[in-house]
Amino acid sequence: MRWLAAFVALAAAAFFLGDYHNDVYRKMLLWVMLALGYNFLFGICGQIAFSHFAFYGIGAYSVVILLFQLNVPLPLAILLGVAVCVVVALAVAIPSTRLEGFYLALATLALAQLFVVVLNEGGAVTGGTGGIANYRLPPIFGFQLRGPWYTAVIVFVLLMTLWILIKLDRSWFGRACRAVRDNPEAAAAMGIDVARTKVIAFTVTSALAGVAGMTYAFVDNTVNPPIFGLDNAFLLLFMVIVGGSGRHAGAAIGAVLLFLLPFWLSPLVGHHHVLVFGVLMLAAILLQPKGLIGLWDRYSR
Amino acid sequence: MRDFLELAVSATASGCVYGLIALAYLLMIRPTGIINFAVGEWAMVAAFGGYVFLTKYELHYLLGMGIVLAFMLVVGWVSERIAVRPLVEKGTAILAPILALLGVLVITREIISISFPPDPLPVPYPFELQHQKYFIIGVTAVVFLGFWAFFEKTLWGKSFEAVALNRRAAALMGINLSRVTAFSFAGGAAVAGLGGLLVSPNISAHYLMGVPLAIQGFTALVIGGVGRVEGALIGGLLLAFAEQLTIRYAPIPSGFAQGVPLLFLMIFLIVRPTGLLRARA
Amino acid sequence: MRFLGLVACLLFAGSAFSQTIKIGVITDRVGVSKPYSEPATEGVIFGASEINRRGGVLGRNIELLIEDDQSRPDISAALARKLVDQGAVFILSVSLSPATQQQQTVTMEAKTPQMTPMNSADYLTTQLQNPYFWQTGPLGSTQIATLLAHARSKNFRRVALITDNSELGQAIAKAFRGTLEKAGIQIVADEVVARGATTATPQMQKIRAANPEAMFLAGVLTAENVLIFRAYKELGVKFPIHSSYNLSVPIYETVAKGLIDGITFVDAYDPDKPEAKAFEAAYKKATGKDSVNLHGYGYDGIMLVADAIRRAGSTDKEKIREAMQQTSYAGVMGAKGMKYSFPEGKRAGYDPNGMVVRVYEKDKQGRVVHVGQK
Repeated sequence: MRWLAAFVALAAAAFFLGDYHNDVYRKMLLWVMLALGYNFLFGICGQIAFSHFAFYGIGAYSVVILLFQLNVPLPLAILLGVAVCVVVALAVAIPSTRLEGFYLALATLALAQLFVVVLNEGGAVTGGTGGIANYRLPPIFGFQLRGPWYTAVIVFVLLMTLWILIKLDRSWFGRACRAVRDNPEAAAAMGIDVARTKVIAFTVTSALAGVAGMTYAFVDNTVNPPIFGLDNAFLLLFMVIVGGSGRHAGAAIGAVLLFLLPFWLSPLVGHHHVLVFGVLMLAAILLQPKGLIGLWDRYSR
Repeated sequence: MRDFLELAVSATASGCVYGLIALAYLLMIRPTGIINFAVGEWAMVAAFGGYVFLTKYELHYLLGMGIVLAFMLVVGWVSERIAVRPLVEKGTAILAPILALLGVLVITREIISISFPPDPLPVPYPFELQHQKYFIIGVTAVVFLGFWAFFEKTLWGKSFEAVALNRRAAALMGINLSRVTAFSFAGGAAVAGLGGLLVSPNISAHYLMGVPLAIQGFTALVIGGVGRVEGALIGGLLLAFAEQLTIRYAPIPSGFAQGVPLLFLMIFLIVRPTGLLRARA
Repeated sequence: MRFLGLVACLLFAGSAFSQTIKIGVITDRVGVSKPYSEPATEGVIFGASEINRRGGVLGRNIELLIEDDQSRPDISAALARKLVDQGAVFILSVSLSPATQQQQTVTMEAKTPQMTPMNSADYLTTQLQNPYFWQTGPLGSTQIATLLAHARSKNFRRVALITDNSELGQAIAKAFRGTLEKAGIQIVADEVVARGATTATPQMQKIRAANPEAMFLAGVLTAENVLIFRAYKELGVKFPIHSSYNLSVPIYETVAKGLIDGITFVDAYDPDKPEAKAFEAAYKKATGKDSVNLHGYGYDGIMLVADAIRRAGSTDKEKIREAMQQTSYAGVMGAKGMKYSFPEGKRAGYDPNGMVVRVYEKDKQGRVVHVGQK
């Protein structure tokens, strides 16, 4: 079926790319994963949050700390890592359900910054400002997953994330989310528990971000605070908007484009590619709110 | 005791800066409901303007300040025309202009970053170091009094209030909505610019100064409430006092003291998002 | 910057004619490390052009492959991989310490020599046992020991420590703390100024209340350091300030005018040293611009690499590694007579006695008042 073909194609590509390109490819896949989850929260459920990267970080740090400081076996470490993300997400989401639009964004912004403060002050547990390095993914069934094989793992996690999100999207839950996004009062009138929907959406997408983080931990084999800072959170929002919020394909396109753009633009505008992002974002909102995927739809008709 | 008095002055001055930024948000939120994060970057633009006119060209302080503020009025007006008006006229949801303004935020920051060297640039004090704080407090008091009087006493101010309460009714009463919006953005930019100009002799003009100011200003706004002009100032003062008193007196390691404003923001958002002061009925 | 472009073009043209030796450089052109990284990179480029002018290394020209990691560690590792793929035999890291750390995971795996001529974080050679990595930047622990040796003549018993909440600021403060405590000096106040703060008054009040004999400054963010100086002046305190080598960055001469007279700071540059004078003159002649201490880091870096390759007699990475480990080289940086070396298999090569303490005289970086750790 299509999923298998997609998996084979994406994973096989890893074996043909050199080391450097493999690295770029992996990071791109991770961004797509994050963008898909963020798109569900923002585009389909209508909630803006800046905490996605904080959960990415929580997942990454949790799995590293569990595996190497507490010596928990890998499968348990993964489950516990997800559990930590779920708990934190619930702790933030449940009180926040009363907040509208940008107020939630602000609360999650504060969370993201607090997270970095905690990381920096975490002393021996989080490795403080230097982070944690010098670890390797433990062998699974005696097989050491490196290089293109690990990329295949990332592809697998990505497709699994996509599958979960598509299933949710097409279910009654997805419809509830859209209803809440478009008109919370009407949704409530139709009998949808608005608060519960928002909490579940936030928790699920944050947990998925955490899983992406766990995968990331073994890409560079280092985790340190600057990686999970705030600039990336803005970038994620831009990706989803430029690509087309509300559509999985849109999120994927936005992520791929904005991730690769700096590499292409570097020779031309040096490091000021952020300017281009801002312009693209503005252009998207003013001219084509449906994003690039909207353009694609129009021209393929 | 001497410490506390000194700290009170310092916190009041910082609180005034936060209050100005909060006022800038408020001026734009009240008539339109749009939260404009670019206020931080506007403060930064004014700070760089201060560098250009006051340090490089060494103009008289008041003249330089005047030029910068006039420039900020234009910046605000242009931002509104580009990022807000087309969307409002199209009738999009409130979210769209907010996001568009995020784009403006990034663009503004990058333009400044391209145009100036990367290191922090000095902006001079109008008076000596010791008196800067009183200057900030004085100017802020004048600005807030001015705006309070504007909203309470003048016809224009009342039309702002009318738009804030009910856009449609205000339009039906003949109030020109787009003019009100344009003025609110121009005014917001000038007020934010003033805040940036006042704080920059202390922290120097550098292109990363925008986002922390935007967050601090927004926290002040949340604490004080969107309903009344005074709320912005009170919120700013409360935030600054909480921050500085915690650093000075609380027996926690200073690394964690940074978390205080963030914690405040989260708590207020969750417990009392409308802020401390209620809008007048 | 135009000069750099010209030199880069010349280098490229030169390298197109013969088989070049590729040296990768990972720098920061945009982010927080730019004030350090940019002059260091200029020093590297200048050094490479000098080497090529004199006939290159082993008869071949040096070709610099320069990448910008924007102070983002996640990009840094990818760039290191890219350089390795492109055939770089050595990588110079002149960005931030955490970025250098990320690059190490790549160079260790790819068995490619890597060196930072500039970073000062102690953990770079201790956290990972990477035999292909060297650090010739002055270590945080060396800085504080040197600063302390100078301060010891004043017999401080109670001092204050202040820094910012950046990664490097915290790391330097940690190094300061450890060494001060080991010397039996009591830290009576330990403060942090957060990025984006509008004032450092409360922290300075706390310090004043603790009545220290001196204040050690470990912060690296310019704007926040300026806040500290202003608070210092405002509160009218008089104890001497001793700073990490961050104060050796020339920007303070403009942005902290009137605030820095008398501050001592530890530096790796003695303007009286013959090699330093020669470097300043050569740089001015070639580029028409004045050099600053930071250029020397980059210059020494590329010279050390060239020296190692020459002694190795080939561009084989293993041979370079062995040759590098045997380095004994006198560069622009460091006190008079200092040599870089890596004795006993260590990989941090800046002589622990090679730093100097200088003092700001009015608003300019002034003379050396102390050398080494004695």
